[in-house]
Amino acid sequence: MDNPLIQPDPGLFIWTILTFLVLLFLLAKFAWGPLLKALEERQETIRKSLDDADQARQELERLHQESAQIIAAARGEAQSIVAKSRVAADTVREDLKQKAKEEAEVLVRGAQRQIQLETARAVQQIRHEVVDLSLAVASKLIKKNLTQEDNDALIQDSLTQIDASQN
Amino acid sequence: MMSAAQHAEEAQAAAEHVGEAEHGADEAFNAGEVIIEHVSNSSLDHPILHLPSIAGIDFSVTKHVMMLWLVAGGLFVVITLATRRYLKQERLVPTGFMSALEWLVQVIRDSMVLPNVGPKFVNTWTPLILTLLVFILVSNAIGLVPIFEVLGLVDRYVLSNAADSESLINSVLHGGSTTTANYNVTAALAIITFFSIIVAGTMAHGFVKHWKNLVPSGHPWPIYILLIPIELMSMFVRPFALTMRLAANMTGGHIAILSILSLVFIFNQVFESALLGTGVGFAVAVPLAVGISALEIIVVMVQAYVFTLLTSVFIGMAINVHH
Repeated sequence: MDNPLIQPDPGLFIWTILTFLVLLFLLAKFAWGPLLKALEERQETIRKSLDDADQARQELERLHQESAQIIAAARGEAQSIVAKSRVAADTVREDLKQKAKEEAEVLVRGAQRQIQLETARAVQQIRHEVVDLSLAVASKLIKKNLTQEDNDALIQDSLTQIDASQN
Repeated sequence: MMSAAQHAEEAQAAAEHVGEAEHGADEAFNAGEVIIEHVSNSSLDHPILHLPSIAGIDFSVTKHVMMLWLVAGGLFVVITLATRRYLKQERLVPTGFMSALEWLVQVIRDSMVLPNVGPKFVNTWTPLILTLLVFILVSNAIGLVPIFEVLGLVDRYVLSNAADSESLINSVLHGGSTTTANYNVTAALAIITFFSIIVAGTMAHGFVKHWKNLVPSGHPWPIYILLIPIELMSMFVRPFALTMRLAANMTGGHIAILSILSLVFIFNQVFESALLGTGVGFAVAVPLAVGISALEIIVVMVQAYVFTLLTSVFIGMAINVHH
């Protein structure tokens, strides 16, 4: 046992165990434990934020789809409203047109009747004027004033003739 | 046993290395003794701090005990401070040394402990594995740095203390600084592994079930006559192999480096030419020693890794019993 390389040294052996156990205890308490905990917490944080991000993405997708649906529904509704209002407008226009036409017809018919009446009255007036003129001319011509009865009879007679010739 | 004066001389010779060839020319140079002195613990007869024996065990603080404390203290201060800064920061992403520390913790947890031990006990055993790793790694690595050799040169030539003086620096120069090259230290670490395996099995399966788990169940009895001794033997061989692997690897590397550097002094002495000794030093010894030191850096890391990996494998075998 003279060779120091293989000399048993129980003191050193026990010192090593003690030193190592103390170091293990101290490092486990002040370094490895907190470090492992921090690592795990960070891992958890990262996993959680990834999960959150994933959830947010899914939520976003869902909202996107929902909004697309809403937009599609709104567009359909708008189209139907437009179509409906177009139909309504058409109806209204048709009604107005119809009414206007009728009114116009009424107006035209009234005007025509008015014209006929006026024409008939004018013709009557003209006839009377003509008779009066003819009488004046005739009496001047014959210089003989016929009696009122004769006149009336003559007027009546000629009127009848004129009417007859007219018809 | 060597006398105290001889001891001091050998330590001085070891401390001086290259460049001091002419100085050693008039003294007898014994490469074997210098190397042994340099890789073994300081003698219990001349401890740094003399403590009383308890139950026949000498608890005096030798060089290796001091190195253990230096490594443990340094590790505790550096890692705890870094952790405190790491926990204080607001940002989610760490920087610098803290990210290295985080990387270490994460790698050990996720690719060493988790695959072996399983998710249930990963947080129980990661601290042990991490402590083993940093402790062994730094203990291995610190032996490659010639701190005490530089201190010795300063003591001798700057402070002008004699080689056998009672100065404080002189008292810490004896012995090697690689604690993991001493099998007493590696045996203690392996004992930690040995009991960790039993604790792990007991925590996972209960004390009695752990021992039953050592051998597969449900075989005819004659098989057990063979199996039980084999399994018991493997239980003790595992820590023994851990002990020897680490200590021998560390010792071997240092002996190789020191043997090559001894060439300087041997040439110096045999041919009685300081010039030849220095020439061999620059042409052969230093380049070779640099190469082996580079190799040693790899060995230092690999051995720390192997020790911790095997520990986690053994602990995992006790927890996840596959038979």
